[in-house]
Amino acid sequence: MKPTRPKQWQRTSPLAVLFFFGRLLKVITKNAWQSLAPFVAFIYAYQGELVTKIVMGATAFLVISITISVLHYWFFRFQLDDDAILIRQGVIKKKQLDIKFDRIQGINTQQNVVYRYFGLVTISFDTAGSSGSEGNLPAVTRSFAESLRSKISGTTEHVGVPAAATDSGALLRLDWRDMLRIGLADRRALIVFAIIGPLLERLGDDADQVIANYLERAADNAFQFGVAGGVIIVTTTVVGLILLFALVSIGAAFLRYHNFELFLDGSRLQSVGGLLTRHELSMHLSKIQTLRLEQGVVLRWLGRYRLSARQARSSQKQGKDKNFIVPVITAEAANHLRELLLAPEGDDLVQIPTSECFEPISPYYMRSHILFVGLLPALLATSVFWLEFGIASLASLLWLPVVILLSYQSWRRAGYLLSAEGLVRRSGLIGYRSVALLFRKVQRVTVTQSRYQRRKGLASLRVYMASGSVRIPYLGHAAAKQLRDYILYKVESSQLAWH
Amino acid sequence: MFQNPEIALHSLPDMEDLHWQQIHPRYARRLQLERALFVCGIAIATLAAKFLVGIPSDKVFMLWLGLLIVAVPLLVWPVISVPRRGYVIRDKDIVFKSGVIWRSVTAIPFNRVQHVETSNTPLDRKFGLANLQIFTAGGSGGDLRISGLGLDTAEQLRVYILGKVGASIETHQA
Repeated sequence: MKPTRPKQWQRTSPLAVLFFFGRLLKVITKNAWQSLAPFVAFIYAYQGELVTKIVMGATAFLVISITISVLHYWFFRFQLDDDAILIRQGVIKKKQLDIKFDRIQGINTQQNVVYRYFGLVTISFDTAGSSGSEGNLPAVTRSFAESLRSKISGTTEHVGVPAAATDSGALLRLDWRDMLRIGLADRRALIVFAIIGPLLERLGDDADQVIANYLERAADNAFQFGVAGGVIIVTTTVVGLILLFALVSIGAAFLRYHNFELFLDGSRLQSVGGLLTRHELSMHLSKIQTLRLEQGVVLRWLGRYRLSARQARSSQKQGKDKNFIVPVITAEAANHLRELLLAPEGDDLVQIPTSECFEPISPYYMRSHILFVGLLPALLATSVFWLEFGIASLASLLWLPVVILLSYQSWRRAGYLLSAEGLVRRSGLIGYRSVALLFRKVQRVTVTQSRYQRRKGLASLRVYMASGSVRIPYLGHAAAKQLRDYILYKVESSQLAWH
Repeated sequence: MFQNPEIALHSLPDMEDLHWQQIHPRYARRLQLERALFVCGIAIATLAAKFLVGIPSDKVFMLWLGLLIVAVPLLVWPVISVPRRGYVIRDKDIVFKSGVIWRSVTAIPFNRVQHVETSNTPLDRKFGLANLQIFTAGGSGGDLRISGLGLDTAEQLRVYILGKVGASIETHQA
């Protein structure tokens, strides 16, 4: 235990209460039923008018949560050491966090509307690899965050200028048109749809009534105006719903990425953006393990890509990777960024999937797919259904051409590109994905051969990075072995840290 | 002085003529015993179910027949697969191969090892065996496990690799 110097323990600004209140609300919505149960019980137990009940319940809820937030603020202290930041928190369960500067991968800040007015930010420390303790420092001044940032980058590596508001020299800026693009390309719109659907159902009889009325009217209209009228009504409903979700996700894009700007400050990548809450992320270039360029259907149609820089994954927190994301980017900008981010070794690692530089993998890749995903299941289904449906069961053989087409497509999109310092792997079925990595950051390499591959002199190579693995299937066996030996040579002779 | 000599690809050390170290031969018998115990456990459980719940005898026999069909390859497989496993310690990395139908060769450079762990279960101890686990960064299956080493070998390897890595020591006994 360190000798504590009480004079150095300090509180944050009282506005931190806002942060704790927000966090409390988040926890409550996450496990809504458990935490709201007492209030619901209270409302039921209390005799009186419904309005009074609700007002009483809401008041009690507010008073209790504000008290909890104030208590959290009261017991929150932090102390800045030479090589670490110590945080003491907790109302009933006390907790002390020691975050060593050299464990911190990056300092991210958020600034909501109120904090922006007072010039405060909430710092969250990005400590990949450490156990699930997340460090937050709410409501500290902006200048404190900056000094902390330069102090931390000072201990890990000597970088010059602190991340002052360098308005000029942004690598990338997203404007309102990009917000529309982000919104349209957002796959989460579908998830929202999936969540809102059951919720609408749960809203109960009223919603049912409205929908029923609407449908009835639609049916009436269909009766009056004929089938064409009905079709028009159904189409407008569907189009209206799609428009609504597009609007929602465009709104979300504005909230998160409004005035998004990307900077390179020394060897630190920084992004700022957000409408109400400004998010500021920073990441040291040396932490980048893989660079991923993706393009789904919508992005392809818009002629844009999505770029993410992936950091080392911590083993404890599964699925909560902290990645640096640029949601929309043009091909040229992506090329330029890649050259900067993987400098100086990544110059030849072209990621644009339509580039001519990619080598194809062996077409035998298709054969095993067609055999195991297509032919065998189709035959099995036919024989199973034969007893019941007779000749009609031959229809399951239609599965085969579908699989053949998909395998051909996925083979055509698969490819790889090798340079002296790294590789790019391209894959995709509907969209494209290309992942670039540097050999010297590889963690381990595996070469695998199935029986069939052995006969054809082929093998699959899997390269494990700290951010996940990258697989190149169906290479020539000799080429795979040579590549593995070369990667090992690169790793073992590298004097640079991989993280 | 910074040097950057060009490397001819054919001059890189390859893995063709490595002297593979075998897994301890007792490991096959250990696997067989474990699987035999498992199969016997299920057989006894069905027998108990017959008397307690009253499953008809013919069904129990059918189950046992099925179990027998499964048990034979289960018991034979280790004899085939264990000799196929092997490892090589080189100056800068450790290489592990395994697999009969799908053969894989994995190489971990020592300068990427996070930590090393040896462990053994009571059954392993009965056979004088231990497992060596080598962790690299990245989590989720990001570790290499070499099962069925001799106790001394596992310990030697751990110490040797640690010496190469200079990492922390962890020993687990499950």
